[in-house]
Amino acid sequence: MLMGDKNHINIECIECCGKNLYIGTNDCFIYHFMLDEKVSTSGKVTFAATKQLHKYLGFKKPVNELKAASALTRLLVLCDNTITLVNMMNLEPVPTGARIKGAVTFTLNENPVSGDPFCVEVCIISVKRRTIQMFMVFEDRVQIVKEVVTPEQPCAVAVDGYYLCLALTTQYIILNYNTGISQDLFPYCSEEKRPIVKRIGRQEFLLAGPGGLGMFATVDGISQRAPVHWSENVIGAALCFPYVVALDEEFITVHSMLDQQQKQTLPFKEGHILQDFEGKVIVATNKGVYILVPLPLEKQIQDLLASHRVEEALVLAKGARRNIPKEKFQVMYKRILQQAGFIQFAQLQFLEAKELFRSGQLDVRELISLYPFLLPTSSSFIRSHPPLHEYADLNQLTQGDQEKMIKCKRFLMSYLNEVRSTEVANGYKEDIDTALLKLYAEANHESLLDLLVSENFCLLTDSAAWLEKHKKYFALGLLYHYNGQDAAALQLWVQIVDGDIEDSTRSDLYEYVVDFLTFCSDRDLVWKYSEWVLQKNEEVGVQIFTKRPSEEQEKNINPDDIISCLNKYPKARIKYLEHLVLERKIEKEKYHTHLAALYLEAILQLKSGTTDNCVETVELLLKLRSLLQKSDLYRIHFILDKIRGTDLHMESAILYGKLEEHEKALHILVHELKDFGAAEEYCVWNSENRDLQYRRRLFHMLLSVYLRADTSDCALVMAAVDLLNNHAAEFDAALVLQLVPDSWSVQLLSPFLSGAVRQSIHTKRMTQVALGLAQAENLIYKYEKVKHKGTPILLSDKKVCQVCQNPFCEPAFVRYPNGGMVHTHCAASRHLNSSVTPHSSRSSSET
Amino acid sequence: MKKPDGKVVLLGDMNVGKTSLLHRYMERRFQDTVSTVGGAFYLKQWGPYNISIWDTAGREQFHGLGSMYCRGAAAVILTYDVNSLQSLVELEDRFLALTDSASADCIFAIVGNKVDLSDDCASPPDEHRPEKAAAGCSSKVRKQVRVEDAIALYKKILKYKMLDEKDVPAAEKMCFETSAKTGYKVDYLFETVFDMVVPIIVRQKAEGPPQTVDITDYKPAKRTKSGCCA
Repeated sequence: MLMGDKNHINIECIECCGKNLYIGTNDCFIYHFMLDEKVSTSGKVTFAATKQLHKYLGFKKPVNELKAASALTRLLVLCDNTITLVNMMNLEPVPTGARIKGAVTFTLNENPVSGDPFCVEVCIISVKRRTIQMFMVFEDRVQIVKEVVTPEQPCAVAVDGYYLCLALTTQYIILNYNTGISQDLFPYCSEEKRPIVKRIGRQEFLLAGPGGLGMFATVDGISQRAPVHWSENVIGAALCFPYVVALDEEFITVHSMLDQQQKQTLPFKEGHILQDFEGKVIVATNKGVYILVPLPLEKQIQDLLASHRVEEALVLAKGARRNIPKEKFQVMYKRILQQAGFIQFAQLQFLEAKELFRSGQLDVRELISLYPFLLPTSSSFIRSHPPLHEYADLNQLTQGDQEKMIKCKRFLMSYLNEVRSTEVANGYKEDIDTALLKLYAEANHESLLDLLVSENFCLLTDSAAWLEKHKKYFALGLLYHYNGQDAAALQLWVQIVDGDIEDSTRSDLYEYVVDFLTFCSDRDLVWKYSEWVLQKNEEVGVQIFTKRPSEEQEKNINPDDIISCLNKYPKARIKYLEHLVLERKIEKEKYHTHLAALYLEAILQLKSGTTDNCVETVELLLKLRSLLQKSDLYRIHFILDKIRGTDLHMESAILYGKLEEHEKALHILVHELKDFGAAEEYCVWNSENRDLQYRRRLFHMLLSVYLRADTSDCALVMAAVDLLNNHAAEFDAALVLQLVPDSWSVQLLSPFLSGAVRQSIHTKRMTQVALGLAQAENLIYKYEKVKHKGTPILLSDKKVCQVCQNPFCEPAFVRYPNGGMVHTHCAASRHLNSSVTPHSSRSSSET
Repeated sequence: MKKPDGKVVLLGDMNVGKTSLLHRYMERRFQDTVSTVGGAFYLKQWGPYNISIWDTAGREQFHGLGSMYCRGAAAVILTYDVNSLQSLVELEDRFLALTDSASADCIFAIVGNKVDLSDDCASPPDEHRPEKAAAGCSSKVRKQVRVEDAIALYKKILKYKMLDEKDVPAAEKMCFETSAKTGYKVDYLFETVFDMVVPIIVRQKAEGPPQTVDITDYKPAKRTKSGCCA
């Protein structure tokens, strides 16, 4: 490097400040070079040095140390135990000749405590034993600030603020020169090995420790990082964040401060100086100066990623945070996370990959695009450039290993399912949902249906083709339905039910279709498929009409149309009419009559049939009776006509009852059916909500039916007796006694008679009580009346009206219950104007 | 770098298994380790706090560093090998003094590691049936250190620190026997210690860091000084 070739001239010290490189030699010369940095197209950085000046200091001593103070444009030169100030540009000493004498070594405070920018703080180890001195160095003068005595002879020093980190003879200490408080760090034998004390940042130092350790220590005397492990014979150390560079006799080693691992080793012989200057690391032998250029952090990280050292890459990236502008860092860091995610993914480390994708806010489509055919054809997605990974697709990544492929797909399923509802999905929900649908369909995954019935963004054409390919016809129907194409959906489903296409997703697909039609608001569709549905199963199929939400029903479909449509399906028709009459309680004669007629028809048909289906008949009979009894709307005569000539006596009895032809009805019940219990019930329900007289009339009628029989049928007599004895209250005893044959014994009717007598006596007494009470009440009123008639009132012209205080001039007056008398007009105005009331009440209290 | 809220330091003679214990706890596995050089540390999230756990080198060569590692520690885990009485003796002779720099309210735990190597049937202190014990557990060595010895050491430490037994956790609670190899009681050890460290952290935070000097405090003083000169 342009030095003299003379063998005895060696480089003693170096300093680099901006583009200025200064070199001090052992023959008392200072050389000044300008460094020119060039970046070649390949990104390689080279430096060219141009010699500016050299200067002989005039001693026969080596130049020990050089330090630049660029703010002062001064170079501090230590030579022959004296620090002189020379001009940085021309290397001439300052005219004032300011200097610091008696310095063994010195260092600058990079974290100065004085606020003065035109002053540097210099700390020297003095030639005086066990003494440290602090100076302030200005452009052309120096000023001593403090002198500190140390417990042992110091041999190296570094400064940060008020803290001195000192290598003493047997140990390292931290010394606060302001307070004088010192803190032992750890023992170290400076005679065996040269100590290293290097400030590496705010309040933190790097020290050469025992066993070749690079120890970190803060000003508090605490180690916050684990030590780095150098070789035993380390000569110098420099910092190039986040790395610690160390020099020994044979190598330059690079350790990371982040994970303490050794990252690089460069063979380098005969080096004796290693220093960092504003990010540049310079190493020097006796004859040459070399600049170590770190690769850009991003390049380092990319290299780590390329060799799949994910963990280290992430640590490095995180560690670099404070050295890179925030926005740039975030972009870079996200990308690194994503890349790292893909590396983990390729190694099937899905948990780690997922976490990295998540924290790196990966565009999910990057991941989807790895899987062939998953992204919809319409997707505008293009993979980021430069690529985040080296894989063309999943086939390449798994090298055709089906098992791996399945694992990858399973991972994507769960991942997409997780992110689809988060903000990561914003903007490309279609791509995500379509991909998820494809994965589900392919894997025959049950969540396919869940996806399709809930809110989704699956693209129709792409998804439809895929579902068809994988024969997921039911799901395809759901997709059509979700996209408002119910007709297409139904067509597919009907085909599945009919067995034209195969899809066993749902065994109850028919019921599903019925259900679907039930809630389908498209009238035409319902009509279109009603025929199909009813043909399959009348009773289930009719639900499409009966279970329809009621507001839908009223709006959309005319019941008459439905009934005429159902003509071919008697069971369905009955169900529908039942629905109209019993559930919806539509009060239309038409439906009621129709239903009754249908019941009747069905019953008669069943009865005429050879196979006697008892259960069904009984069920229908009960329904018919219930309808006939409860409804008042059907055409009684119409039904009666139909029923006549059949053996449906009970039903005709009910019908007669509806016509108020109770005698006929009872006659049927008693003589045809001989069902006395039913006859009694008949009386009871026909007289419901009627008065007692009506009820009595019915019971009498029944009694007469029993008794009028010419044939002295024993059963009827018994029934009559029972009726009387059990329902004594329902009869007028006097009338009954006229009816009862003379031949009956008193004993036979004793329950009835005693009941009747008791009733009669009870009635008599109740009447007497009522009479007595009425008389008493009458007496009270009489007394009131007499009391009010009371004393006569005398009106004379001496009496005055209590309201206006004027005498009465006319005979008409008003008297209040309290006895006060007023003019009629006064009373009228008092009623109108209630404000008079207090006056009146006062006057009344006076009287 | 996240700043740790509290520090736990593992101390003990070389080859007692400090690194293995920590490795078992943090990485959930046991693997052969090489002799620790200098020291290493892990950060453990414990509730809302970050606790740094320092693994120190047991070798004599690095002994001098121990004091710095212990500085401000909230807990010190003194580790010995249950199969080496010497390793317990060393704790008192060499390592106890290192803890002088620890936090004043530092808690101590004494841990006998490598219980997997010794036979359990020898643990009763009386040795009436030496042959049977030897025959029953032929491949295993006899345990040299009993829990009682560790408890005695714990009490000595309290005396040394001039602490009252009433003010500190009971000796029985703070003496552990573990196996980093099988994982026996390793989690229990660290979790017990962390739970005890949390109140110390809370107290330290409330009182303000005792050993940290905030240089911003000095700035105003400096300014008045320069004001005088001007």
